[in-house]
Amino acid sequence: MSRDITLGQYYPVESFAHKLDPRVKLLLVIVYIVGVFLVDSLYAYIVVGAFLITSIIVSRIPFKSVLKSVKGIIFIVIFTAILNLLFHKEGEVLWSFWIIVITKEGVLFSIKMALRLLLLVLGTTLLTYTTTPMSLTDGMESLLSPLKLVKFPVHDVSIIMSIALRFIPILMEEVDKIMMAQKARGASFDNGNLFKRAKALLPVLIPLFVSAFRRADELALALDARCYNATPNRTRYKKLTLSWRDLVATIAFAVYIVLIVAVNNNFWGLY
Amino acid sequence: MDTIITIKDVSFNYVTGEQISRGVKNVNLEIERGSFVVLLGHNGSGKSTLAKLLNGFLTPTEGEIIVDGINTADESKIFDLRSRVGMVFQNPDNQMVASIIEDDLAFGPENLGVEREEIGRRINWALDIVNMSEHRHRTPTKLSGGQKQRIAIAAVLAMLPNILILDESTAMLDPKGRSEVLETAHKLNKEENMTVILITHYMDEAIDADRIVVMNDGEVILDGAPSEVYQQTDVIRRAGLELPVAARVSEKLIERGYPIKFCLTDKELAEELCQLK
Repeated sequence: MSRDITLGQYYPVESFAHKLDPRVKLLLVIVYIVGVFLVDSLYAYIVVGAFLITSIIVSRIPFKSVLKSVKGIIFIVIFTAILNLLFHKEGEVLWSFWIIVITKEGVLFSIKMALRLLLLVLGTTLLTYTTTPMSLTDGMESLLSPLKLVKFPVHDVSIIMSIALRFIPILMEEVDKIMMAQKARGASFDNGNLFKRAKALLPVLIPLFVSAFRRADELALALDARCYNATPNRTRYKKLTLSWRDLVATIAFAVYIVLIVAVNNNFWGLY
Repeated sequence: MDTIITIKDVSFNYVTGEQISRGVKNVNLEIERGSFVVLLGHNGSGKSTLAKLLNGFLTPTEGEIIVDGINTADESKIFDLRSRVGMVFQNPDNQMVASIIEDDLAFGPENLGVEREEIGRRINWALDIVNMSEHRHRTPTKLSGGQKQRIAIAAVLAMLPNILILDESTAMLDPKGRSEVLETAHKLNKEENMTVILITHYMDEAIDADRIVVMNDGEVILDGAPSEVYQQTDVIRRAGLELPVAARVSEKLIERGYPIKFCLTDKELAEELCQLK
């Protein structure tokens, strides 16, 4: 495997966006998403798009890589657009045939829906491109820490997430090994219809689960051996710190929200 | 003698439903502070059970164990005990909790509530000892087995234990990885005066130890310095263990009447053979 799976989609370059605090990035992405859902004027979408492009430039990730993330959802986008087109029946009729009626509002609405989905995915992709899964986990733990007051086991959840991340590459490697071992015994995984192929995976999944349980057993011992839960006053070695960058980014997002709300409601009478 | 571990008349039974099987029986051992002890035995000889008894994973059915002044049956001091008895397991992959080496090392001291600056110092020190400082910010995925196991040792060292138990920690490694881990263990023993208990079924790993304890069927059947223990070839064979090649060759040669000494290492054997006329 050429790619390091623990890093997920992380794109390792040094940039302003990469250096932001993960907590700030998480919150700002939520703000961005709210923004995307807030707007319904095409002009405001232009603002959102311009903001996204600026963010991509600031994070120094090639456009090509960011656009790749759209590939997986392009089918859903087209599907949603077509459905919206067909079921939006009010408004000025442009074209009709049998039960199919296409209206001007329908066209506009489907374009907006498609744009909304695309901008949503592109924005969140930027988060995973500029943040390692590890710092995302740290960020989430920190953001969720107020929940400790209601006895929510924030720290346990974060340990679970970090162990899951740690074991993804290990289990992937294991799948590779088991598949090779089964192939050596004459198994075939890429012949026959979908049902047959799914069935062929059974001799891979069962050993995988057995081994995962065995690993979990040893991991539990290792956690105990390293005094997991020894004290409720657990310390943290890595501290997330805010810098001037986080302030700049927050201000930029505040401006963004003001802009899209203004353009969306046509405060300045631009259209 | 400054004794760090006292095992007195200890027996332990595994109970699974109705079935009771013996883990260890009537073990009596005293281990000196700063010594390097190898616990030998084939699979199921009770050596890993003994290790789990030492850091309170299991508590003796009979008898008692005192480690560094703590009775292992004392529930209230269990974490104190575990931070003093560092335990490294067989599969290095199954002992790491974080995807970045530095974070993994921090896990133990974080759990103990150690201050941030102190954790940083401990990480520096531990990585330096196992010779892995340059990997601090990397993921363990790409490392060799020996390197991963050294990280696992460092992770335990970050809790500043007085005793290091390597429970079959060399069993899954290639020869190079095995020698890396052994070297690290010996270095810790010599330079940091750490008490090391190495559990293994490879006899050749025991040659440089201060003391060898051989177990079979839950009982200690041999206990002494390597040179004494290795002479007992019959007992060792009965325990299901294999002597090092040099020992086997020299034993056969002595049987045939050649005037050489019983040897443990290849080097020794070579010296002896060169003196034959």
